[in-house]
Amino acid sequence: MTKLTGFLPPALARPFAALGGVLFLIGAMLPWATFLLNDGPYPDKATLQFFDAPLELTGYRWNLLLFGVFALIATFAPTPAKARVLRAFGWGGLVISAITAIFIVGKGGGLGAITSADGNVAFGSIVGIIGGIVLILGAGAMPLDDVPHWSTKVFGLDGWAGRLAAWAVLLVAFAAMLYLVSLTLTAGGIGGAAFPYAGPIFLAFLGFAGGLLGALHGLGITGWIARLSELHRAFSIVVLLLCALALPFTDAGSQYWMQVAATIGVYAATAIGLNIVVGLAGLLDLGYVAFLGIGAFVAANLSGAVASTVGWNLPFPLAALISAAVAGIFGAIVGSPTLRVRGDYLAIVTLAFGEIFYRTAQNDIGNLTGGASAIPGIPPISMFGTAFNESVTLLGTELPIGVLYYFLIVLVVAAVMAVFANLKNSRIGRAWIAIREDEDAARAMGIATGRAKILAFLVGATLAGLAGAIFVHKLGTASYDSFKFLESVTLLAAVILGGMGTIPGAVLGASLLFVLPEKLREFEDYRLLVFGLALIFIMRFRPQGLVPDRVRRAEFAGETAEGKSIEEIQEQAVLEQEAELEREHEAPATAKETGR
Amino acid sequence: MSAARHSMSETVLEASGVTMIFGGLTALNDVSLSLDEGRIVGLIGPNGAGKTTLFNCLTGLYTPTRGAVRLRGKELPHDPAKVTTAGIARTFQNIRLFPNMTVQENVLVGRHIRMRQGPIASLFHGPVFRRGEKAARQKSAELLEFVGLSGLDDEVARNLPYGDQRRLEIARALATEPDVLLLDEPTAGMNPQETEAARQLIFRIRDTGVSVVVIEHDTKFIFGLCDSVSVLVQGAVLVEGSPETVRDDPRVIEAYLGKPREEVEASITEAAAAGGVVDHRDAGTGEVDA
Repeated sequence: MTKLTGFLPPALARPFAALGGVLFLIGAMLPWATFLLNDGPYPDKATLQFFDAPLELTGYRWNLLLFGVFALIATFAPTPAKARVLRAFGWGGLVISAITAIFIVGKGGGLGAITSADGNVAFGSIVGIIGGIVLILGAGAMPLDDVPHWSTKVFGLDGWAGRLAAWAVLLVAFAAMLYLVSLTLTAGGIGGAAFPYAGPIFLAFLGFAGGLLGALHGLGITGWIARLSELHRAFSIVVLLLCALALPFTDAGSQYWMQVAATIGVYAATAIGLNIVVGLAGLLDLGYVAFLGIGAFVAANLSGAVASTVGWNLPFPLAALISAAVAGIFGAIVGSPTLRVRGDYLAIVTLAFGEIFYRTAQNDIGNLTGGASAIPGIPPISMFGTAFNESVTLLGTELPIGVLYYFLIVLVVAAVMAVFANLKNSRIGRAWIAIREDEDAARAMGIATGRAKILAFLVGATLAGLAGAIFVHKLGTASYDSFKFLESVTLLAAVILGGMGTIPGAVLGASLLFVLPEKLREFEDYRLLVFGLALIFIMRFRPQGLVPDRVRRAEFAGETAEGKSIEEIQEQAVLEQEAELEREHEAPATAKETGR
Repeated sequence: MSAARHSMSETVLEASGVTMIFGGLTALNDVSLSLDEGRIVGLIGPNGAGKTTLFNCLTGLYTPTRGAVRLRGKELPHDPAKVTTAGIARTFQNIRLFPNMTVQENVLVGRHIRMRQGPIASLFHGPVFRRGEKAARQKSAELLEFVGLSGLDDEVARNLPYGDQRRLEIARALATEPDVLLLDEPTAGMNPQETEAARQLIFRIRDTGVSVVVIEHDTKFIFGLCDSVSVLVQGAVLVEGSPETVRDDPRVIEAYLGKPREEVEASITEAAAAGGVVDHRDAGTGEVDA
């Protein structure tokens, strides 16, 4: 990407950008496939002829058309940070076209599928790809302006008017976010043999969402929303929680998607717990899923399942607390011998622990795990006289089966987030971060590093145990197979991918990593390959994670993702510092309030 | 002024017969050091003389092979965390801040042992927690102002200029409310103005009642700062006394300038002979990063 900057003379920037936008428009109108695919016509009218039915554009075509229009507007209208916005549209359109093209080629049997065969021509995807490249080239020839900094004083209003305006903006932003989440979840429908197009449609939609978010970031809107929500923290938390609870009322409110969302929630809660150990305390844990497993098996034994050895039937809240506590105790036990090892060696010890747990559960040592036959028949959670696997009617809407699990897990994730945030901004959290940064210096500051590390393991394991208790009730079966090494790695990947040490990062990472396999089902053997490639690309171009910590953002400032040289980064850092200082002078009170 | 201080002084920190042996290398040989309340002691010597090793012994990072360190008459444990709690704080020769934490957070980590919030309080952020947190932030702001870094609270430590990082390290050490502050080359890499500012800062720290030990190569800086100076050569105290005495001592000049050679060599062989008598047991310090 670095080489694309300044590849063209600046005079050609605008014509290229405009041409890219026009090519997007043309590409959206052209046919995309020369023949019917083996599994039936590709959705969203891949064989649509030029102007055949322009008003029937849906899906990827509609997205590409939008990008074309947006790109043209951004090219000719006065746009702040024009190069960033156009680049985002360019990459978005390129991804949409490329993914669709690759899929049609793969399914349609060769390059003829997207060019010409049997007298049919279909150059839509190629035109789209070229348009994307041209647009990126054009954007690269433009000066890379700074992301504009919008004032947190919404519309320049003060006092209550300003506060109400900010709340209105946040409401709109969060509602839009809810809509986007719902769209993303349902994009492409349910994966699997019954509907073979879920994967490409979903990926193409990710390209659209990514391009859109990138453009909004370039315009400075995402940063503005983030600052506003920092300022109005309590309001944002309440609205976000309400938005999360409102998801079942959107298109995503089907039994299947509620089940997927609840599973994501379980892993998100676990990932946040892992984020304490890895992100805050800097202790690499490769066997973390074992704590989820311990919580699951304890809960299974206390659920009254006939197949369990203990077989007690405790009310769910009590069972969940016991599961969390037992997992926490194991966390502390595992933590203790790891005090003497650091870095790689710690990773090996935790890896071994994860494997010990897995093999113990597999061989049913102690008769608590059911071994290869697992513990089936775990009853659903039942509280307030309602079993959680029934559908409920709320606000006049018949909500699908599984929605109660979704509500429960949303509340648990919210609680886990609160635990994480409160601990992070406390004496304990600072001690963890200090240990991560420089363990010797932390000891020299009087921190009992051993105790702090065990506490990190304990808290992380407790949260995982709690998530495990819900997980096993939702699934109805507790099998050792759910807690293999790969799960630990995926959780770790979720934390690193999303952004170490941040809450939204862990949630986003968990969502992506557990939604993608669902959507990519029809790729069967290739899905892990695609998955791995996606991870490599994200880590190459965004090593700080999708939602980086304020500090990690500084660490990787502008690097790689922006494709800048070190000098540019330093220069920009100095400029940003100056701007920051100026702003602080302007509004010292607000600066203090936002400072965590 | 300093005479009045001397008359009321009481020994705060006392190292007696500290010997540190790494395998076959005697890094420190029977070193004794005594620091009176409210005074500044300098520690000079050529590279490899054992100055930082002595600091590591004083702060519990190393367990001395022989000898003891006492703070106000009480022998110190060999655990850096406990030593800090007892009242000794230090800075490092190569700055060791928490680079990705903000300036304020760095100082707050220094407050760690003087805060009392346990895990439960940290979880719920109750009124007591918030009061403690507020007090700590208040203290942190005071310390940052004291060292001249006020207003930089939310800056990430790694982004600070070098001199500011040194000052932040001092603020972080002072946050532990030490009786004794050990400064390892506080002016390394500084220009004359910055060095003078550092000297004034150390005087002000002394005036708050903290006793200070300073390691430094810059002899001019040390002689203008300290109440007494110890010269460490080849792991042993060569000379000890007031700056004037040390400055005029021919052995010090020899140690630094390397002439006349024979005498230095004689003192080296002397030290080596003394070191040769000791039992070369492994000091059990496998984990230290020398």
